[in-house]
Amino acid sequence: MPANISPSIPSPRSVADKSDKSALLAAIRMALQVESSAVRHNTQSFNRGRYAATSAIPDYETLKDKARAIKEDSLARLPELLAALEASVSRNGGHFHLAPTAADASRYVAEVCREAGVRLVVKGKSMTSEEIGLNRALDALGIQVVETDLAEFILQVADEQPSHIIAPAIHYSRERITALFKRSFRTDLPLATGEELTAFARGRLREKFLQADAGITGANFIAADSGTLVLVESEANIRMASLLPPLHIAIAGVEKIVPSRKDFGPFLELLAASATGQPMTSYTSVISPPLKAAPVLAEGDAPPRQFHLVLVDNGRLNLGQDECLREALYCIRCGACLNSCSNFQTVGGHAFGGETYSGGIGGTWESATRGLQNARFSELCTGCSRCVPQCPVRIDIPWLNTVLRQRLGQLDVGKRPAPNPLAPSADSGASLSRLFFARYDLLAKWGSRFPKFSNWIGQFAPARVLLERLFDVDRRRHLPLFASPTLVEASRQLRLDQPQARKDGSSRKSVLFADVFTNYGSISRGLAALRVLRALGVDVVVSNVVADGRATLSQGLIAAAARQAERTVALLRPYLKDGRDIIVVEPSVLAMFHHDYRHLLKSGPAGELLQTLRERSFEATEYVGMVLQENQINAAEVFPALRHPLGTKLFYHSHCQQKTMGCAAPTELLLRAAGFDVVTSQVECCGMAGSFGYKKDFYELSLAVAEDLFAQVRKAESGGRRILVASGTSCQEQLQAGLGRPVLHPLELLGETLRQAVVASVP
Amino acid sequence: MLAPLFERFSRAAIDAGATVEQIPRSSTALASAIRRVTGEARRIAFANAIDLPSDPFEECRRAPNVVTARSRIELSSLDAGITEAFAGIARTGSVCVSVDHGEAGTISLLARMHIAVLASETIIERPADLFRPDCLGAKGLHRNFVFITGPSATADMGPLVRGVHGPHRLHLIVLA
Ligand code: SF4
Ligand code: SF4
Repeated sequence: MPANISPSIPSPRSVADKSDKSALLAAIRMALQVESSAVRHNTQSFNRGRYAATSAIPDYETLKDKARAIKEDSLARLPELLAALEASVSRNGGHFHLAPTAADASRYVAEVCREAGVRLVVKGKSMTSEEIGLNRALDALGIQVVETDLAEFILQVADEQPSHIIAPAIHYSRERITALFKRSFRTDLPLATGEELTAFARGRLREKFLQADAGITGANFIAADSGTLVLVESEANIRMASLLPPLHIAIAGVEKIVPSRKDFGPFLELLAASATGQPMTSYTSVISPPLKAAPVLAEGDAPPRQFHLVLVDNGRLNLGQDECLREALYCIRCGACLNSCSNFQTVGGHAFGGETYSGGIGGTWESATRGLQNARFSELCTGCSRCVPQCPVRIDIPWLNTVLRQRLGQLDVGKRPAPNPLAPSADSGASLSRLFFARYDLLAKWGSRFPKFSNWIGQFAPARVLLERLFDVDRRRHLPLFASPTLVEASRQLRLDQPQARKDGSSRKSVLFADVFTNYGSISRGLAALRVLRALGVDVVVSNVVADGRATLSQGLIAAAARQAERTVALLRPYLKDGRDIIVVEPSVLAMFHHDYRHLLKSGPAGELLQTLRERSFEATEYVGMVLQENQINAAEVFPALRHPLGTKLFYHSHCQQKTMGCAAPTELLLRAAGFDVVTSQVECCGMAGSFGYKKDFYELSLAVAEDLFAQVRKAESGGRRILVASGTSCQEQLQAGLGRPVLHPLELLGETLRQAVVASVP
Repeated sequence: MLAPLFERFSRAAIDAGATVEQIPRSSTALASAIRRVTGEARRIAFANAIDLPSDPFEECRRAPNVVTARSRIELSSLDAGITEAFAGIARTGSVCVSVDHGEAGTISLLARMHIAVLASETIIERPADLFRPDCLGAKGLHRNFVFITGPSATADMGPLVRGVHGPHRLHLIVLA
């Protein structure tokens, strides 16, 4: 343990097993104190690199479809492909072993090494070998295993578990590596730069490469018809391990199989671009071992080459039977879902991860290979969805984590997790705290009936202590105020809910969906939307309020969310029939329609309407932009930014799910077209993410996530104050909490310019 | 319009940290190109070519700094290793080197600098093309090989460092 770290901070190893929640909380504290700045710096640089590299692939979306299709096909035909691969490997002269368990895989490798008289093994980075605990098995036989990937080398020296699936030592800054090496190797060399550290490690490892009796690698892809492996790397240690020693053992999960070499194509470009942001990494070996060229030896005659392919099941075949989680097997371990995740960027995989696997996809993997209780860290997935468009095989990562959340709840109350998440009993494990956050709609309904009382409660210290004890609502958080009248009531009172037939103006008919957040919370956003749309001549009415399922889904109450989804679709059906577009103010609710409902409404009449709902529902600001464009209205004329009393300079933060749905850019465009000087945030998510930031356990983490956002505001304001604008309710709360100033919705901003313009035009 | 293959190949390879030159297709031109890049090198080695016609390195082999004895230790102290590449990839700036014919695999791996020589007509568009049976005589389907894209590199020690376990420098010579 580094000297400057207090002994009260746990070591990463001691919090790797998070089957107990206290380990998760300790890990978060440790990560925030020790590892956060390196993780943030490194993941964000990967993240930028990936955006640049994937945007340079002209057929990126098509490649992802192809990759997904190959994976679906391969996993569907797994038994057949395993048999074909076994035949290919023996035809090539190698040995094939299918290991049912981690222990069996380790035992087999240890046995092969023992028989070959191996004393020294050089090993390339392989998460699968971490998963099966291989090094311990070889140690027990007195066989020395040297990790040769520099990140794994660091971890071996420090005795820590990986904190990232492609960059396992991502939590180490250069300074901490220097300190670690100086301490462990007792050297006086300065080791003060990346070059010096690399040269030092290279020198030590070169000797090992030249002496090793065996090389152990993983494999990124394996072709069944030819026994060909694809090995992707940058440092050349995997080339060394597979080429120099006479014995090569490759260990990989069964999911790495694809039918043939021609299926490698899409992955070669996607993996490197998604992982490190390069067109390709330095080395991608495509080999069908055993190789024929004689191994180069120190001296004397070379023994014949030997090759063993160890394919590991260890829960994967069961995972393949799991209707909900199966798609995790398509994962090509690129790490994009880690690098694009705000929570991961802030704490890394020692907190947001288990013994081997980390990040949004890690929960499912730990659950499949070690057990559901080891997936507890998946609670750090807020469902923000930023990883979804980044995944090269289109895995719906937040959905996997929602299912895990529901199952963990059942596990906690001693039930066997139900395989069907829509079965009503599947929700039965939800804790009091989850129920509290899930039923925000009920709370808000009653809260807004008695607004004085409920809003007073929200500020009354003893009540906050109670809320914290009972429901985990952090007492330091400002609670959103309940509105009275609600949006539905106010729109009636103001006669903003009447259909209007107009000769000029837009021919569009629409309904504003009164989502619970807008209806009971920030009604001014809703009213602004109505005023703006009416001014543009859109015939707009207001729906009744109904819980759409977002709050329940976020707490893992999937069956309840499905029932709410059905009710919501029933409410919207007549409007759709009537030719009305559905306008949604809260982006997370629109994301339910566009994205999450497909998991909840699989069949029945609601399911059939889903496609229409998806096509005809819009984010409110995006919709305004569309109407302007269709009617060739100049934004600067209706919404003259210059007339805004607070000025024209603003800082705009779009909502995470809004970005994923592609409707963040239209808002930015519209604000600029109106004449505003817009600086936009460059973060994936604000860290509030609905209920996440309100929870006592995650309050510090949530604010730590937001530090980047706050810093960007401060930087943008170095030349003077800007109006703060955000599209999501919880983003507004987070910005207000961090900067202590009110935050507007884009339509409130535009609505005000409209009003000022009208006032000015009255003689 | 896309730029010609060679230009894109060369730009991508340079982005990946390699150096690239195009020379006329003659053994004298090749010998002098190799001499230029290996000028300071005390120990260099050639892997036998299998794709380029005749023996392209015949003239170069006469240089006094060429070593022929081969053991791991000796190969490990090479200043430069010269191999051919059977394909270049325009989109990624990679070259494909066979690793299972003679010593190309080890030489391209253990030397401090790797020089790869390829014929311009073997530059293809993207990595996936290599696995088509009609591409370059199906070499991609039949061989054990490695896509090499720039020198070995790591970001594990903080900033990006070029030169880890493999070559610190990659020089590509394209025969026009
Ligand atoms: S949905 Fe958001 S929080 Fe969850 S893993 Fe993906 S990026 Fe992270
Ligand atoms: S889930 Fe997708 S994005 Fe995440 S590591 Fe796997 S392939 Fe990459």
